[in-house]
Order: sequence, then C-alpha cells, then structure tokens
Amino acid sequence: MDVGSGPSLIAVLYGAGALSALLARWSGPLAIRIGHLAALAGAVVAASVALDTLLGDPGRSIIEPLPVLFPFARLSLSIDGLSAYFLLVISLVAIAAAVYGPTYLRVYSPGAGSAAQGVQTFALNMFLASMSFLCCAGDALTFLFCWEGMTLASYVLVVSDHRSGDNERAGLLYLVMAHGGTALLLAAFLALTERAGAFDFASLRAAASSLDPATRTTLFFMALGGFAVKAGVVPLHVWLPRAHPAAPSHVSALMSGVMLKVAIYGILRFAFDLLAPVSGPLPPSWGWVVLFVGTTSAVLGVLYALQQHDLKRLLAFHSVENIGIILIGVGLAMILWRSDEASGALATLALTAALLHTANHAAFKGLLFLGAGSVLARTHVRNMEELGGLARRMPWTAGLFLLGAIAISALPPLNGFVSEWLTFQALLGGATRVHGPGGLVIVMSAAMLALTGGLAAACFAKAFGVTFLGRPRTLHAEHATEVPIPMIAGMAWLGSVCVALGVAPGYLVALLDAPTATLLHGPVASAVVTARGPLVLSTALTSSGETATSISMTVIAALLAGLAVAAWALRRGVGRAARRDAPTWTCGMSPSSRFDYTATAFAKPLRLVFEALYRPRRQVTRETAGTPYVLRRIHYAGEVVDLAETQVYHRVVEEVSALSQRIRARSTGSIYGYIGFVLGALFVALLLIGITYR
Amino acid sequence: MTGDRPLELVLLELTLLVLLGPLVTGAIQKMKARLQCRQGAGVLQPYRDLAKLLRKGTVQADTASGFFWAIPILVLASTVAAGALVPVARLGPPGFPLGDAVMLLGLLALARFLTAIGALDAGGAFGGMGASREMTVAPLVEPVLMMVVFSTAVAAGTTELGALAAHRGTSWFLAWRAADFLGFAAMLVLLPAETGRIPVDNPDTHLELTMLHEGMLLEHSGPGLGCMMLASHTRQIVTLGLVAALFFPVTPMGGSGALALLLGVGSFAVKVGVLVVFLALVESSYAKLRLFRVPQYLGVGFVCALVALALRIL
Repeated sequence: MDVGSGPSLIAVLYGAGALSALLARWSGPLAIRIGHLAALAGAVVAASVALDTLLGDPGRSIIEPLPVLFPFARLSLSIDGLSAYFLLVISLVAIAAAVYGPTYLRVYSPGAGSAAQGVQTFALNMFLASMSFLCCAGDALTFLFCWEGMTLASYVLVVSDHRSGDNERAGLLYLVMAHGGTALLLAAFLALTERAGAFDFASLRAAASSLDPATRTTLFFMALGGFAVKAGVVPLHVWLPRAHPAAPSHVSALMSGVMLKVAIYGILRFAFDLLAPVSGPLPPSWGWVVLFVGTTSAVLGVLYALQQHDLKRLLAFHSVENIGIILIGVGLAMILWRSDEASGALATLALTAALLHTANHAAFKGLLFLGAGSVLARTHVRNMEELGGLARRMPWTAGLFLLGAIAISALPPLNGFVSEWLTFQALLGGATRVHGPGGLVIVMSAAMLALTGGLAAACFAKAFGVTFLGRPRTLHAEHATEVPIPMIAGMAWLGSVCVALGVAPGYLVALLDAPTATLLHGPVASAVVTARGPLVLSTALTSSGETATSISMTVIAALLAGLAVAAWALRRGVGRAARRDAPTWTCGMSPSSRFDYTATAFAKPLRLVFEALYRPRRQVTRETAGTPYVLRRIHYAGEVVDLAETQVYHRVVEEVSALSQRIRARSTGSIYGYIGFVLGALFVALLLIGITYR
Repeated sequence: MTGDRPLELVLLELTLLVLLGPLVTGAIQKMKARLQCRQGAGVLQPYRDLAKLLRKGTVQADTASGFFWAIPILVLASTVAAGALVPVARLGPPGFPLGDAVMLLGLLALARFLTAIGALDAGGAFGGMGASREMTVAPLVEPVLMMVVFSTAVAAGTTELGALAAHRGTSWFLAWRAADFLGFAAMLVLLPAETGRIPVDNPDTHLELTMLHEGMLLEHSGPGLGCMMLASHTRQIVTLGLVAALFFPVTPMGGSGALALLLGVGSFAVKVGVLVVFLALVESSYAKLRLFRVPQYLGVGFVCALVALALRIL
C-alpha cells in the first residue's frame, strides 16, 4: 500500500462508517454492525500507516494538503514520528473497541431504539476519526477542529444512555469543562498564529522562535491548562470520574485509554515541537510544574480510586493516576533536556518512559474497562458490593481482568512494570544530575511513584477480589454467565498486547526512535534503552555509562515460567491425597455472602491512614427497641469526598453566586443604568488596549 | 559487560536460598524460645512442617474459584524468582541481564498481591481482614524501601544488586558515611515489616487481632499451604539478602575457586546470622504495635531514608 494514500483511506473508512450508521438507522443492529466494521477497517489501516511511518527513516514525515475549506488558511495533514506513534496507540485500542462494541451494545442494551444505536455508532466513528486526525494535524486550525470534534462526539456518547439521569449532568459538566480548556487552547494557538500570519505548524514554529521568554512561558501554561483539563490532571479532573463511566464501556475504554493520551500528545507537540527555543533548554519552570502536577495527580488519583465502589468510576480515577505517571516522565524530560549528549540521553530515557506508559496504559486500561463492561453487560450492576463470585461464572473475563489488574499495578512480568521501571531509572538519573533542592524534589517524586504503585496493587486486590472472588452477594451476580466470544476476543486482543509489551518491550522501544528523534533531536530511544539488544532494557545513570543497569523482562518471564512448573510439582504434593471441597469455616455459623469482606471494609484501614486527604463522612444511626441495650437495626452511611471538589469547586461556585447576587442588586431595570455599564466597560477595554499597544 | 556470576552460579545461589530459608525461620524461633526461657522446637522444625504438609491432602473452600488452586504455585514462583536477584556467594553483576533491586521489590509485591487475591477467594472474613491489612501496610513500606535502595544506588550509579554490592565492596564499616548509617537505620526499621514480624505483624499467632500475613494463609491447606510457607521462608531470607547486599557487601577474598565460593557462602551466612539475632531480639523485647500506629513507625524509617538520600545528592 502506498503510505501517501493512507490518511485518505482512513478518512474514507471512518467517514463511511459514520455515514452508513446514520443512513441505516432504521435498523439498529445493521447500523451497529456496518459502523463498527468500518471502524475496525479504519483502525487497522491507521495502525498499518502508523507502523509504516515508525519503521521507516526516523526523520521522515508525510505531508498531505487538505482541500481548501477556508480562503484564509491552508489546511494540511502531517504525519511525523510522534503523530504516527499516537496514531498507533489509538488504533490498537480502537481495534479492540470495534470488535467488542457491537456485541456489547446488543447484550447490554437490547431495548435501545435503533435511531439511538445509529447515532451512537455515528458518534463512535466521528470520535475515532477526530482523534486520529488530531494527531496527524499539520496546522492549528485542523488541530482545533479535530479537538472540538473529539469533544462533541464523546459528549454524544456520554449522554447516549438515557436510563440514568446522572449521565446528562455528567455530560454537561464534561462539556463545560472541556470548553473551558478549549478556550485556553484557542487563545494560545491564536496568539501564535497571529504572530505567524499563517496556521501551519512550520510557520508557528518560526514565529515561536522570536518570542520573548515571558510570552513563551505564558503561552505554554495556557496550553498546558487547556490540555490538562482534557487529560484529567488534578484538580481539573472532576469531570472525568463522572463522564467516563457514563459512556458505553467500549467508549469508556477509548476515552480513558486513548482520549486522555491525545492531550499528552498536545502537550508534547506544543512544548517540544512548536514552542521550544531554538537553542538551549526549555525554561525550568515548565518541567518542574509538569513534574509536580504529575506527581500530585498520580498520588491523589490512586487514593481516590481506592475508596470507589463503582467499578467503572474506580477505573476512571486510575486514569487520573496514570496520566500523572506519564506527566512525571514528560516533566522530567523537560527538566533534563539539554543540548549536550549525556543529559540528552537521560531526557530520552524519561520521554521513552512516558511514551511507553502511554501505550501500556492504553492497553491495560482498555482491557480493564472492557472487563468492567462485560461484568456490567451480564449483571447490570456497577457497584462491586453487589457483585462477587463472578470468577466461577465468567472465567475468561475474570482471567483477563486479573491480567489487566497485575499490569496496572506495575507488577512484573507485565507491561505496567516496564514503564514504571524506566520512570524510576529516569528519576534516579535525574536526581544524580540535578543537584540541590531540585534533586530532592525528584527523589520525593520517586517515593510518591512507589507509593502509587503499592496503592494501585491494594486497589486492584480489592477490585478484583470483591468483584470476582468469594460468594455472589446478589442475584444479579448469582445468575451471571460468560459473555459472547466477540467480547472475549476484544479483551483478549488487549490482554495479549499487555503480555507482549511486558515480555518483550524492546520491540516497542524500537518504534519510539522516530518520536524521540522528532522531539528531542538527541539520542534515540533504542540507543539509550535497548543498546544491548531488543530483549534487554539497560540504562546508564552516570554520564560515563560504565555501570549500567540491565534487566531482561524476557529472562524474568522465562524464569517465572520455569519456577512455576517446579512449584506446580511441589503443589501436587507427595502423597497425592485426594482433594476435598468443604465450606469455609465461619466460626460455627452457616456460611453466607455476608461473611465476605466488602470493598468498604477492605479499604477502611487505608481510609483511616489517609484520613487527612479523604475527610471521610460517616453516619451511623441506631434504631433501638425502647432501651439503648437492645438494637434493632444499625444504619451506616459512609462517603469520601473529593478534596478538589469541596475545596476548590464548591468555593468557586459559592464566590461566583455571591458575586452575581451582588451584581443583581445593582441591576435596577433602568435602561440608562445599563447603557452606563456598557460605556464603562468599553472605556476600560479601550484604556487597556491603549496601555498594551502604546 | 562480562558478568561475574554465570548462569550456573545464579541457579546454585537460588537453590541455596530456597533450601536455607526455613533454617532462618527455625533459628529465629529457637532463639526467641531461648530468650523467653523456653526450650523451643529444634531449628529444623520448619523443614519437618514442610515435609508433613506436602504429604497431606487438601481441603478447599467450596466457593473458591479456579484461581485458588494456582495461587500457591504463582506465589512461590515469584518469590523464588526474586531470590535469583540476590547475590549470595559472589558479588558482581550476573553474566546475563536478569533484574535489579526494583525488579526484586516488584516480584515480592507480585507475590503479596497474589496472596491477597487468594485470601479473598475463600470468602471468609479472616482472609479478607488479613488481605486488607497486608495491603495497607505494603504500600507504606514500599516507598521507604525504594528510598533506601535509591540512597545506595545513587552512590553506585546502578540499581543492579550484584553490581551495586561490588561497587560498595571495597568499603567496610569504618568507611561508612552518615548516609550509610541513616539508610541502615531505615532498613532496620523496615526489616520487621517486610519479614512480617513484631512490631508490625506476629507470625506466631492466628489471633484475629494480630494477624496480617497469617490471616491470608488460613484457607490454604496441605501442599498448597506448604508452598505458601516455603514462599514466606524464602521471602524472609531474600529480604535479609537484600540488606546484606546493600549494606554489608563484603566477601573475604576474590578469586574464583571453589574455596572462594565456599567462603562467600560462609560470609553470607554470617551476615544473615547477625540479622537473625537482631530480629529475634526485637521480637522478644517489643510488643506488637496497633495497626494504626504502624504508619507512624514506618514514618521514622521514611525520614531516615529521606535524609540519607538527601545527604547523597545534595
């Protein structure tokens, strides 16, 4: 296939999927099937275009002019290494979603109207297309168009399930916050295009090179704010745990696994490519701020995830955590990026860690959301306190969910460990390079990363244990059955990606050569990380590179497999005595599901340890029979509130409503008064312009 | 990079660690008994227990899923795999890329995660309680342990344990700097937590108020319990080996003959022996902490480790 025609083929396929879903909306199942088939084809083509670009010459990029839509701007697509890598990540999850989606929609909501199903499928195709082309945008206008398309398409998907009124509120919150972010982005991009006089990235780059440091930093932070809303960085994350669970599960997988990454793409493109000074390092404030917000998001994200009992909400909070881990790598790369060779290697290491975690998180978070979707499709319950015992009823889903849980908890031998290991190495290298208090900040960040990993393991022991193990707590869970094969296939695809990226990560690192070369112009990823062959990860913390650390995930996986065989022999025992099944000992009472540890109970010790961050609310009411010594019933209600919501958002809302009350007192209803206000505002605006452009 | 420890040696060290693991537990138990003026069981008692468990039949909870049977296998395999990363007889990096200290902690965390999963499977309240407490303490221990590892790794420029030990091998106690003392102090604080001993956990009782790790093993029986016990013996000696590699990386002499290897093993035994005495003394002279005091206890370790690291990089 000629790569040059790739983008148009992707556009045709996604467009065909969207259109046919709309046209075929008289028959829901048909619309769903055609639309998802087209999406699958589009994702496969996109993945092959991305792979072709990544495996080719690192410096190469495809530039494709788009039809002239506006007289004032020439639109174009440009696929370089960075675009291709994110396109690949998007397509990997899109394939799983397209395989999983049709069956999921049929099983979970058979009663949905065919028009609704047509619109859902239309929005899915538009969502995938706008994410893919956003990463391939060659100019600011295409970028912003796709950005807006992505927001609107995902909004439609979030509110597409009418059965719960919460979804509409979640969608509204999402729309408002996303547009706040878009406004910031728009301002940042327009400030650049105004200087450049054109919209294409090459002109923007040229215009940015003549910026003074203060403007450059202001523009960066505006764009960072805009991207951070989409990425769900604390404290801008409040929409995320509401909106992501509301969407159909395969769309949740795309939103959490991929859409957040598009914001990471935006940060990387804007900071390293468009805005970076021609010579010399990035301004130090950029990297430190990104490192700080990354660390905060990682820790707070996992802490709040621990106290969630809604399976999909828990996963959504984990996305906040993982975006934080990615931003730790990005921030470190910003701090360490210098023109000289040795630091360049460390910056490459940090960026490689971040990019690798991007792909890894897409794979395991996609897998986990699809697993949660399978549970939801069969039980119609998201609260894990009402589940339990599903491993016996849905063994494939349980096994694949466990795989994802091990991967996200950063445990070897799966892929989550690989990127966390690289992040640790980058942090350690950074700590030795950056002396003084900065080094200590980096070290604290490493400690917080270790804490995050441990808490994630605790959280997923809870999520997996309470949902899948023990006894079923309700009839919903009792009567669950395994999901159909296409849904298992969607999960198995992402599960195999997790295993492959865990056992042989070197092959993905080779694909990172092009993006690292595009952004850092220094040593490429494979020269830094897989210098000793694709099966070995090695890093040098010191500039001499003499005492390098090398690990091999492949050897460790082989060792684990070999030892498991030996342990299996031991497990069978010597005497081969028969196995008996007996009820669990529950101190003499007859065993029931009430003896199973609940999610609330499991997370209680950590809730008490981190009380300062949770501010848990607890309400216990006792119903007594006349005397306080005879209890009839105890009612317990517990809740953990998001600190960002109570401390930031509620206060802002209070302030705003207080302000508007005060303004209301001034509005007399007299037309002269209003004309006076308008004149005053005009005067102030002119005054400001006069001062600025003096 | 030509490694100092070829494959045969790594496998030999691995086998040695697994075989000696129960002996360490036995020695601690014996010493505790003597300190409490009891006769105590012989030091070989853990071996007898294991042999007996392997011959027994299994009783499994009727609600348990298919995972439950596999949990002991996976826990034992990942714990023993962590043992492959600890240098025993000779220092220096292995002849082939294997894993580093972060990988070691990761493998131990994997074993712990799987143990907790297994505890939730039987559907009893005790298993859940043990799992919940273990998974509360573990995330607090991990960052501190990582900081201790980093405080030595920053000096050596690598996190590979064998290479790290070889780099520090020239310095002995007299050459220790303040950072070493603080890091070692942090490590001593962590040691009872990581090996599941008083004042954090009590390995001797199955009382619901005290149990963390033991609570998770309640539903295992027969060979499965044997595997879990062997895994916890191995975990203990691996942790002691980690301390030895980080802080006492001293071998009597170089050379590569059989005598040098024997001396290396002997010195490893001495180092582990010193730590065994420490653990037995701590266990006999302190009471178990309340669960919610443990974070404060670990906080002491965290401060020590942080200051050690600060001294290294500032």
